[in-house]
Amino acid sequence: MAAGDLLLRAEGLTKQYPAVTAVDGLHVEVPKGLVGLVGANGAGKTTLFRMMLGLSRPTAGRLEVCGVDVQADPLGVRQRVGFMPEHDCLPLDQSAADVVATFGEMSGLPPRAARQRASDVLDLVGLDEARFRPIGGFSTGMRQRAKLAQAIVADPEVVLLDEPTSGLDPTGREEMLALVARLGSFGISALLATHLLDDVQQVCDHVVMLDAGRLVVAGATGSLLQGTGTAVVDVGVDGPRLVEALAARGLAATLGPGSTVEVPVADESTLDVVRDVVADLGLPLNRLSSQLTSLDDVFLARAGHGGGAA
Amino acid sequence: MTGAVYDRGYRPYDGPRGGTGASRLALARASIRRALGLRRSWRQKLAPFTLLAIVTIPAVVNVGVKYLTRDTPAQDVEFITYRDYVGVSNALLVFVALTAPDIICPDRRQRVLPLIFARPLTGRDYVLAKVGAMFSILFAFSFLPQVVLFVGQMLVSEDGALTYLRDNAEVLWQVPAAVALLALWYSVIGIAVSSFATRRIVAGATIVGIFLVSSIVATVIEETAAESARRDAGWSTSVEDAPSTSLDLVLPGEAREPARPRFAAGEADPTPAPLLNLLNLPLLLRDVVFLGEIGSGSAMSGLAGGGLMAAGVYAVVVVGALVVLLRRYRAVEP
Repeated sequence: MAAGDLLLRAEGLTKQYPAVTAVDGLHVEVPKGLVGLVGANGAGKTTLFRMMLGLSRPTAGRLEVCGVDVQADPLGVRQRVGFMPEHDCLPLDQSAADVVATFGEMSGLPPRAARQRASDVLDLVGLDEARFRPIGGFSTGMRQRAKLAQAIVADPEVVLLDEPTSGLDPTGREEMLALVARLGSFGISALLATHLLDDVQQVCDHVVMLDAGRLVVAGATGSLLQGTGTAVVDVGVDGPRLVEALAARGLAATLGPGSTVEVPVADESTLDVVRDVVADLGLPLNRLSSQLTSLDDVFLARAGHGGGAA
Repeated sequence: MTGAVYDRGYRPYDGPRGGTGASRLALARASIRRALGLRRSWRQKLAPFTLLAIVTIPAVVNVGVKYLTRDTPAQDVEFITYRDYVGVSNALLVFVALTAPDIICPDRRQRVLPLIFARPLTGRDYVLAKVGAMFSILFAFSFLPQVVLFVGQMLVSEDGALTYLRDNAEVLWQVPAAVALLALWYSVIGIAVSSFATRRIVAGATIVGIFLVSSIVATVIEETAAESARRDAGWSTSVEDAPSTSLDLVLPGEAREPARPRFAAGEADPTPAPLLNLLNLPLLLRDVVFLGEIGSGSAMSGLAGGGLMAAGVYAVVVVGALVVLLRRYRAVEP
């Protein structure tokens, strides 16, 4: 893959603090797109962000963001990257429009363009009505949106989102994730650091899992989940007949709670077989859903294998 | 595409982008706006513009008096000199104590620094932008009243504007130079002190405290020296000479009235004690700019190499404060 298509390339990246090794020999290549950076608190996510922004010097190794060597050209990286920190970070006594426009200017936009973009992105994140109010009066959800707005105001190639759903209620969380999911369609890649695998599962097409500063696993979200799920079929009272018919086709189906039938899914063709068998038997197909193994399971399984540091 | 009018989709930005210079300017502009209370509530505008009014009023009054008394012989009316008027800028101390913390402390307290340094800006850019913003405002606020005074005097001058301009041509460089020295002094010290506090009130009080304490210490040393000199000369201590109110310390006598010959030769030997007076040090340099030597209002007047010593202390303090600032923002991590 060409360097420009990569969001992130780390080679032996290490960050050693006096008391702790925050990132430990990280080797990873991450394509552009919506990428989840998953790990428990203290796994090294924020340290990786700092190093990506050139604000923290790696103890060893190399780090490229969007094909730019961070050590060699930190300002070049920051011109391409937007950053949304986890904590509150906006001046409280200024209006959202003002703050976002000012940050746009600081990212290199001419003043007029910065004001226009600020208005556009605040509209996009749903703060069009509130944009002339001081941020001090905003709710947590509104502040998170304003933080996202300042990160994308200069139309970056990549945004680094540090726990964007933290502190949000379920509705706010859904809305924030929907916004993040939309970034992809804007041509903005996102690296979403979170300890909530659900968030990643919902919006990211790629995932990088860290544990204690080490890489657990990296890959496409789909491929990590593939082959590990269960399909749940509800055919009313005819469950036992379906189990027999599926067994004849080589699938080890079992009767589940109620009258459901659970079928282990090897790949996508399994679901086709289930559908065909149900049709052949002339059974009513009340429900066919797949319960994929969650990333939690993948993470726990791999982190458990990966050396026991956790 | 139908409904394009209502489509509020995202538009990528493909217009021009400035380099790091543009980013630095943007930070300085934002700081200036903040200090002047622009795009903030009226309360934030109160302090800066009241101060601008206060420092401009003497110029307006002076020009007005000059106009009204244009038929009176010149020697009967005393006018403020440009040199004296630079001293009025000491009132800027209050402004610095209010404003320098306001453009520094919230960045730390509200944790805005990570956002600023996620932009193409370095710690050095930050220091330059903040000091530059403070300097620009202080320079403008001390220079504008001088312009009012000069243009006003020029217009009411009985010899004609051009003659006045010719006769006073030297202040055209003296005033900006003296004002710039004063503005740099206050902005660097104010920003450096503020960078160590997260709360504005603490920073403001510290700034005022540092200037006042140094002023009091220097004055006490001067007075002690003068008193012992007088005693040696067989004079009794004169209480009138001692600063009577704290206002005397903030606005040294010479700013409000012509130099008192407190330290005239023969009364006391010149002492380098005024070098300790952070409040008045830039005024010593102002004297050097205007008179080529330290004026008779200071206890350093007549001290050999006094001007050089003042310039040396000034340079050491300004450079020292800048070094402290640069180290403070050398590595800023979110």
